[in-house]
Amino acid sequence: MEEKKLTSKELLNSLVDQHYEGALKAKAEGKPVVWATSICPQELLETMGLTTVYPENHAAAIGAKKEALKFIEHAEGKGYSADICSYARVNMGYVDLKHSDVLNIPMPDMIFCCSNICNTVIKWYENLAKELNIPLVMFDMPFNHTYEVPNHSVKYMRGQIEYAIKQLEDFTKRKFDYDKFGEVMEISNKTCEWWKKATDWAKVTPSPLNGFDMFNYMAMIVCMRGNKDGERLFKLWHDELEQKAKNGLGPWKSADEEYRVMWDGIACWPHLATTFKTLKKYGINMVTSTYPESWYVRYEKNDLDGMARAYASNYANRNLDYDTENVAKLIEDFSLDGIIYHSNRSCKLMDFRQYEVQRRVTDMTGCPSVVFDGDQTDPRSFSEAQYETRVQALLEMMEKNKETKRRG
Amino acid sequence: MEYLEIIKKLEEEALHPKKSVIKEIKETGKKAIGCFPIYTPEEIIYAAGFLPVAMWGGNTELKLADKYLQSFCCSIMRANIEYGMKGDYNMLEAVVLPTFCDTLKCVCENWKVAVPNIPIVPIVYPQNRTIDCGFEYMEDEFKRVKDEISKIANKEIKDEEINEAFELYEEYRNTMREFVEVASDYPQIINLRKRHLIIKAGQFADKKRYTEEIKVIIAGLKKEELKPFNGTKVIATGLLSEPVEILDIFDENNIAVMGDDLAQESRQWRTIVNDNSGNVWKKMVSRVADQRGDTFFYEYMKSRGNRLIEMVKDKSADGVVVFMMKFCDPEEYDYPIYKQEVEAAGIPILYLEIDQQITSYEQIRTRIQSYSEMLMMRR
Amino acid sequence: MYLGIDIGSSSSKAVVLNEKNEIAGISVKNLGTGTDAHKEVVAEALSNAGITEEYINYTVVTGYGRVNYDKADRQITEITCHAKGVAHYNNDVKTIVDIGGQDSKVIKLNENMQVDNFVMNEKCAAGTGRFLEVMARVLGCSLDDLSEMAKKATTQISISSVCTVFAESEVISRLSGGESRENVARGAHIAIAKRVMGMCNRVGYAPKVVMTGGVALNEDMVDVLSNELGLDIEVLPNCQAIGAIGAATFAHDLYKKMEADNNAN
Repeated sequence: MEEKKLTSKELLNSLVDQHYEGALKAKAEGKPVVWATSICPQELLETMGLTTVYPENHAAAIGAKKEALKFIEHAEGKGYSADICSYARVNMGYVDLKHSDVLNIPMPDMIFCCSNICNTVIKWYENLAKELNIPLVMFDMPFNHTYEVPNHSVKYMRGQIEYAIKQLEDFTKRKFDYDKFGEVMEISNKTCEWWKKATDWAKVTPSPLNGFDMFNYMAMIVCMRGNKDGERLFKLWHDELEQKAKNGLGPWKSADEEYRVMWDGIACWPHLATTFKTLKKYGINMVTSTYPESWYVRYEKNDLDGMARAYASNYANRNLDYDTENVAKLIEDFSLDGIIYHSNRSCKLMDFRQYEVQRRVTDMTGCPSVVFDGDQTDPRSFSEAQYETRVQALLEMMEKNKETKRRG
Repeated sequence: MEYLEIIKKLEEEALHPKKSVIKEIKETGKKAIGCFPIYTPEEIIYAAGFLPVAMWGGNTELKLADKYLQSFCCSIMRANIEYGMKGDYNMLEAVVLPTFCDTLKCVCENWKVAVPNIPIVPIVYPQNRTIDCGFEYMEDEFKRVKDEISKIANKEIKDEEINEAFELYEEYRNTMREFVEVASDYPQIINLRKRHLIIKAGQFADKKRYTEEIKVIIAGLKKEELKPFNGTKVIATGLLSEPVEILDIFDENNIAVMGDDLAQESRQWRTIVNDNSGNVWKKMVSRVADQRGDTFFYEYMKSRGNRLIEMVKDKSADGVVVFMMKFCDPEEYDYPIYKQEVEAAGIPILYLEIDQQITSYEQIRTRIQSYSEMLMMRR
Repeated sequence: MYLGIDIGSSSSKAVVLNEKNEIAGISVKNLGTGTDAHKEVVAEALSNAGITEEYINYTVVTGYGRVNYDKADRQITEITCHAKGVAHYNNDVKTIVDIGGQDSKVIKLNENMQVDNFVMNEKCAAGTGRFLEVMARVLGCSLDDLSEMAKKATTQISISSVCTVFAESEVISRLSGGESRENVARGAHIAIAKRVMGMCNRVGYAPKVVMTGGVALNEDMVDVLSNELGLDIEVLPNCQAIGAIGAATFAHDLYKKMEADNNAN
């Protein structure tokens, strides 16, 4: 009997379910579970066959399904300030309450922290280790204030990879299989390649990709880079988008793409529907963000230095010059009409450069943009009225530009 | 100079940082380099012939900084950017900035644009500082900073010069350790305001003359009669205990600090060098690797709570006062963990949310006074 | 007799206690520091007690405006005075929730009715009477009407904004979207209860719980908070004047101690 061909959406949903159910099952069977940060060298965990879940993914899902407040309030009751990252607050609440009505993950036996996304995760995971009394593998990726990643940083990160391998061997009581490592590296690189190729189809006008949909697939690029399922998913998604693009299809069935924008920052998970619908109402499609690039982690197979350098190079860990050029390039490559900057109350690393990036990009490209206040998982830090007003203001600027182009 | 006069002099210096730095530049003939919080390799700066001065923000109106930083940014950093943009830091040849937190990383980048006339030398300390690759990286990073400072000084810095500066700083740290110990025996003479200002004055001074002045204070104190203290004794923890008006409220309520776990104070000198190699780079690295209970250095099984409990026991203190600098993420992560440990040990905590641009002290006064009333009634 | 004065940020209270610590005179006015209301409440409390100033042996002042009031023998904070005031009515209270016009606090007591720990919120309007004032204005009613209005709510709606300014705009949107005023009033009470709940958790709360302060007069607010805490909440008589009662009690204690010290000499 021929297996019915799944769409990438169906495959995505099935993989997400498998991911969480698999983790709970592993824990129930007495197998160790790892919690890890979203852009960590998962190649090591995959090589060791360690079941891994990602608290950031979990918090995002809880936020999207509107259950975040319960965990946030619990964490704040323990003394966590409303000031700190809401992913961390949700997670610290979950660590105590241990149960969600919408999505559960097993408690970890080890945690795996990589600071390339921010310093906040160092503090968060430091607390997890203390609360749960479990081993912690720390990957410190120094901040790149120079344009490129310096060599002595690479040497340090290389040393940490080697140290981590020893920690994993001690933890699992197994030898690290370097051959498997090589295979996992290959798969990881391939998956990232498909991720990039897929999201690159949004460069076409109209874009076959609805950017908010990209946020959904992002969960799997976090947790499935190093295995065949991940590679399969992203290739399938790529092929679908390619087909759509060749047929000239836009992002939505019920409306045309009128304007193309970049969304700077992560989604407002509890207000996903609102933020999406307001844009769609005006025909505004989010075609890209800085995230596709962040998971484009490419290096030569078995090149540990290259792997370290690739992970250390993500957007959040770079200097202002790099960030600005990166955004300017996206404007050109994706034919952007505007930019929406999400001033995410939870993410100081992104926020405190946003104003300068906005100014420089405007100077360099003249591309119109707006900033709005929101939060990734705390539903309380968002005003629908403010968001609507800002989007309208952006629309007016983009409309004016279109007019000018038409006349000119 | 009599020791009480020295105290008055240091208090004045601490209350007027800009004036003090300008004066010190004149008197030493050295140019100054600003040091962002939390730690910087001042020894390297000193060895290059510069005067290292600390930049812990200040009570200034914030207008220009809004161009770069949202309002929910730590007030120390907003103040530093404000001062930089206003021109208050124009006496500095350069600044050194350690990227200990996400805010510092952004401020580093913003400074390059916001204050282009003052060059910035970033330094990225390792978080994985207790393993071999961490030691090597720290040494590489210190040497890279040395090269940057050399360029600014327009001369080579020899290892012997760094060693000499390091020995001077060790003398300073040794002396400060003794000072806080002796001061805790004389809270009636060294009240909270004086204690803080004496320590702060060191941040704008050439450590050579400052260390000598502290030694005179210590000698003077030791000659005084020990008197029993009947007020409330506390241990202070946090980034810094400012503005000084808050300390006046402590003094009014007869509360004395017996010891501190503050980033601006004891954390600067409490780590003792544990390296016998004789190599100054290894010694500097060892101080980084051995720092414990520090908000800004990753520590597996963080020990800050235990440290506070030990300090309270050691000094028979009545409680712990938390000076929580609003919007300081790393501090905000530490708090729930040590709060649980300290409270489980039966030690009452006073939690004060502070920021440097505070204008009205009534609410803080109520909290401090209530805490003091609460502790007094328990006796 | 003994005089206790509580000069708050939005209301002034005065209480006169007799030798048996019974309330001889009491006065509350909804005007706080910066006005002359404290003089008026003192005058009224004395008049109710049927005495003049000379019959007051000792005065204690508390509240936000205590530091600038120079006619008292002693000033003590409202945290300590609330604990003392509550003890006037009840000896097994473990948690005091005080929601005033511009601040809110939760006080934890030990078995001796002494302050064990406390949490205050004075920087932010959310979680205080101020929030209700803003809501009442949007709903076009008086503060006193909120409770009755909220009791008629048919559904729980949530006002999610943590900032009072954002919340105001959120509520206006809801009302223009057709939401009933009754449901919004109830939603406002729930929003405050959540803020207060956070403070209760930080300080560690336990029964018996009492509520003081002006907002305690809002019956629906008390019910909603009680639901949130999962515990009964008792509203003490003269709930707004608990701080002043405590201050007056301290005045009595301190006078007695002063006399005892004098006799000993």
